[in-house]
Amino acid sequence: MPFDVFDRLLRPLRRGPVTSHYPDVPPDLAPAARGLPELDVSRCDGSASCVGACPTGAIHLSDSTWSIDLGACIFCGACARACPRDAIRLGRQIELAVDDRADLTIERDWRVEP
Amino acid sequence: MAEPFEIGPLAASVADETAGSGPVERVAPDALGPRVAELADAGGQFVMLIGLDERSIGDEGLAVEAVVARPDGGLARLRAGLPLEEPAYPSISPLVPAAHWDEREVKDLFGIVPMGHPDPRSLVLHEHFSRGYHPLRKDVPADVRPPDAERHFVPFEVHGEGVYKLPVGPIHAGIIEPGHFRFSAIGERILHLDARLFFVHRGLEKLVEGRSFAAALPIVERACGVCTVTHALAYSQALETLTRTAIPARARWARVLLAELERLYNHVGDLGNICAGVGFQPAVSRLGWLKERLLRLNDSLTGHRYLTGAVAPGGLVADLDPGGLAAMPETLDPIGVELASAIRSIVRSEGVMGRFHGTGVVSAATAAAFGALGVGARASGLRLDLRIDRPYAAYDELPVGLVVASAGDVAARFHVRAQEAHESLRLVREAARRLPRGPIAAPLATIPVVGESALGAAEGPRGASWIWLRAGSDNTIDRLRLRSASYANWPVVAAAAPGNLVPDFPLINKSFELCYACTDR
Repeated sequence: MPFDVFDRLLRPLRRGPVTSHYPDVPPDLAPAARGLPELDVSRCDGSASCVGACPTGAIHLSDSTWSIDLGACIFCGACARACPRDAIRLGRQIELAVDDRADLTIERDWRVEP
Repeated sequence: MAEPFEIGPLAASVADETAGSGPVERVAPDALGPRVAELADAGGQFVMLIGLDERSIGDEGLAVEAVVARPDGGLARLRAGLPLEEPAYPSISPLVPAAHWDEREVKDLFGIVPMGHPDPRSLVLHEHFSRGYHPLRKDVPADVRPPDAERHFVPFEVHGEGVYKLPVGPIHAGIIEPGHFRFSAIGERILHLDARLFFVHRGLEKLVEGRSFAAALPIVERACGVCTVTHALAYSQALETLTRTAIPARARWARVLLAELERLYNHVGDLGNICAGVGFQPAVSRLGWLKERLLRLNDSLTGHRYLTGAVAPGGLVADLDPGGLAAMPETLDPIGVELASAIRSIVRSEGVMGRFHGTGVVSAATAAAFGALGVGARASGLRLDLRIDRPYAAYDELPVGLVVASAGDVAARFHVRAQEAHESLRLVREAARRLPRGPIAAPLATIPVVGESALGAAEGPRGASWIWLRAGSDNTIDRLRLRSASYANWPVVAAAAPGNLVPDFPLINKSFELCYACTDR
């Protein structure tokens, strides 16, 4: 079908651009998207359920600090499901690149009172 | 929310026993090959050979188990015990060639020798591993790096006047996984292809041993990036059989929906990749854009473009996003129209179809002998599809239209894939329409008995992937084997090459579009 060649030429012109203007325009994130795991320190009671549930051992908890290593996190959400007080949710932050490996570990003071 | 995964109290509903994996028949090592051949002659399909170290379950020595899928949907499991010192048995491969990779793998990982195997080279462990290192034996620690050895790779090549050797890979020009292809050719014509994989063998099967069933799921699910639902399904079904768990209706139908979405985005992307094999860029671009829309649909339903974290033993991890479900019809309808239009445009291009026809022919006999699966098998006339042969999830209530072709060439694999993509679109819509309300997961009904084993399988985009699973103590895994569809199909790709031109090999390879990661594990 020799005329198909015109269709192949014209189709992209008719269709126009399909790419988006990221990063000028923020990405269209799905409501179910699993981004940065965030801890609500006001709800955390230090049960360490998240530490045990994490399949990659990315979460650590000490007397005062909750930390997550995003270099080990696979964004599965097991921590959020395991938390008895719903203190963790996988949020909307997806731009997580850093210059230094050490900066991939995020720390939060979970114990509000000493 | 409670993890759907935890072992709950004994559930009232118990899965149909006939859906189990069947009893294990003990056979003498000498009888293994003849018995597998007998089952294969009776229409059975060789599934896999598993190496076992029986010391962990209180027995002595090692063992091999051959699994054959019977034509009636049942499984034959034949296990032969072997001594710890110099374990060996007469090779199955001379009788059933489909076993040839499995036997080499068991030899590498357990030191069990298949006597009389036509290819005695190592498969999984490359030459930097020292001889005598058999990592899946229970007394070999997982966290100790073995000393480097200096052995040399011996490729299988053709020698003679005018024969030249063309090494390709493992580092490739495109963004693909590592494989080394050693062509022996006269002029442009391929005489023999030796395909070498396992460059990214990560020891995943060793890694899951001793872990809890819950901890192993993300590892199995991520054995590769493009069959996550298939592998999670195979694993979940193996564990559900082991624990006699029946899953809720909503989970059964959602599993169909997810499995068909996985097939759909893979098939659409692979149809485009076949066109990349002949440099037909308009179709690559159109189908690539379509695949992107399907990945975004996956994201809208599960929060993950490649559908991880959706399926879990007992049902689903989380329910499908209601907003994503509601918007699905208006997403799928234009995708169906665009897919049909893109396929029409490719089929009308004589230059493209001319390259597809007669290239990379795999006869039905070759496909059957090497154990081809999925698109590769059906394009050569084999009527194999787990969704029909051993229905799981809700496939027993949702008949799947079997797509077969007979030519066995690139064109046949292209057409089978195209028709299956349309069939998957229909199944996705149907599953969404019939998705019942109700719970998404059930707690596992029992704690698995130590030493009990079961199999699970799912028909993925590249064919049937199987998981063999044995329970250890305290809800941990004693042994797991993943036999992915790609693993079974790779030897078929090598068999499809001889007689073709060297520049047609990328096209032949793309017409199978196999995965390296889940093959290497």
